[in-house]
Amino acid sequence: MERQEIFEKLNEIFTDVLDLDECNLTDETSANDIEEWDSLSHIQLIVAIEKAFKIKFTSLEIMKWNNVGEMVDSMMQKL
Amino acid sequence: MVVNSVRFLFFFIVVFTIYYLPFTKKCPRRQNVWLLLASYFFYGIVDWKMVVILLVATAVFYALGLWLRAVMLKGRTKQASHLTTLGVALGICLLLYFKYLNFFGESITELLSAVGLKATWTTLNIIVPVGVSFFTFKLISYLIEIHREHIEPCRDMVEFATYIAFFPTLLSGPIDRPNTFIPQLRKPHSLDYAQAVDGCRQILWGMFTKICIADHLALVTDYVWADYSHQAGSTLLIWTLLYTMQIYTDFDGYSNMAIGVGKILGFNITRNFNHPLLARNIAEFWRNWHISLTSWITDYVFMPLNIAFRNMANWGVMLAVTINIVLIGLWHGANWTFGLFGLYHAMLYVPLVLSGAFGKNKKLRSNDHGLPKLKDFSKMVLNYVLVSLGFIVFYASSVADAFRFFSGIVSISLFSMPSLPIKKATMLFMLIVLILEWATRKKEHPLQLSADGLFRHTIVRYTLYAGISLMLFFFAGEVETFIYFKF
Repeated sequence: MERQEIFEKLNEIFTDVLDLDECNLTDETSANDIEEWDSLSHIQLIVAIEKAFKIKFTSLEIMKWNNVGEMVDSMMQKL
Repeated sequence: MVVNSVRFLFFFIVVFTIYYLPFTKKCPRRQNVWLLLASYFFYGIVDWKMVVILLVATAVFYALGLWLRAVMLKGRTKQASHLTTLGVALGICLLLYFKYLNFFGESITELLSAVGLKATWTTLNIIVPVGVSFFTFKLISYLIEIHREHIEPCRDMVEFATYIAFFPTLLSGPIDRPNTFIPQLRKPHSLDYAQAVDGCRQILWGMFTKICIADHLALVTDYVWADYSHQAGSTLLIWTLLYTMQIYTDFDGYSNMAIGVGKILGFNITRNFNHPLLARNIAEFWRNWHISLTSWITDYVFMPLNIAFRNMANWGVMLAVTINIVLIGLWHGANWTFGLFGLYHAMLYVPLVLSGAFGKNKKLRSNDHGLPKLKDFSKMVLNYVLVSLGFIVFYASSVADAFRFFSGIVSISLFSMPSLPIKKATMLFMLIVLILEWATRKKEHPLQLSADGLFRHTIVRYTLYAGISLMLFFFAGEVETFIYFKF
């Protein structure tokens, strides 16, 4: 799957889970940029992403991410 | 040697003078060596044997950090995880041995006796090193952050040892993270006048809340508790509300002093309190109370647990919250009272998790008169009362004691006049703190005065500082130790 495709799908997931009007994620986007993205919704996002892409992250992978770009890097390795 | 003592003042004048000498201030390593010597001297005054424990623990974790990074660079992921687990286990063992060994020994013996098995436990004479709960958490976070690739290990042993033993925060925190603190040790510190003045103001405010409020409330709360079975329910209820103020002004006072001393030496130390009395629910309270501990446990316990339980929806969150908050309780000491304290707080989280309000950080806004909105204010009051009830079990020496005290509140004498030997001045000071809690909620401490308005005049500012200093002399009694030194 191409990086662009992943971002398009992630935008849909973020909009749905965080109940946003619209979402334009970039590599640098982090929880500091989206008010609704808190510690609890972070976990809901991971569950939704794992389900949608049929992948499984390890705890260490999740704890290492600093932004969306690093998460997408992890996803690219699994897809 | 407490921060608000004359001995500390003399110690700090010597540290400060040599730290900023032209020979020292140009070179971070020389400043670090000096800070390290001062920190070990400071710790040695408490008990020189503890210095050995601190030194050995520091050397072990320094070596582990370098070893872990070397293993990670070779791509040995599993070995790196094992090494991190080993380091975390070592840190936990250090805590278990010094703080919890007797507690577990006695509890298991009691349990076995209760089911009819014969067992004995000889209480070991273990002296708990002051600050062990604080520096152990620094050691553990250092290894975890290397493993998560958020930091590089320290190559310089002096730098790492200074981070662990930094004297302003060694005895009672705040628990600084390596990510934010170690980089500060790598740059030279010249005296930053604005930062140092702010540090002095913060120390002054910390001394005010500690000496003028907490120390006097300590006399009142100890007096009432000593004879609580003969006190009216209303008196016990007021005790409950006052003890929250005492513990807040004591620990926030200590934290302000520690942070202020750090600022004079050119360091930004992590905040420990962010106006917790304005919290509208228990989640907000824990986000703003003893922040350096709660954020530590959130990052290294709650998040991994929440991730592990992620497919269990609300049950997973509740389970992670409960483990998290019970651990925060037990961190304070080896007593079932602290476990129950944690469980009580976990229970207060249930409605938040079920309603989905947990994790949401709604901004606090004032009404047209600059006051809190009535809805917010009533939530703050309710939360204060709930938190205060939890502190009964925190103060009590046993669970049974806490329940007896609580049943004393729920009695017909609840409607009688309370009787506490509290000074009017202490009540006035508490009122000032409560008003400032709201009025200066966007500031780190209330003496960060606005450059506009009345305080733009130097004379007004200095009159205020002089007034507070005068209060300190007027109200200073025997220097009380800080509540959190025993943790």
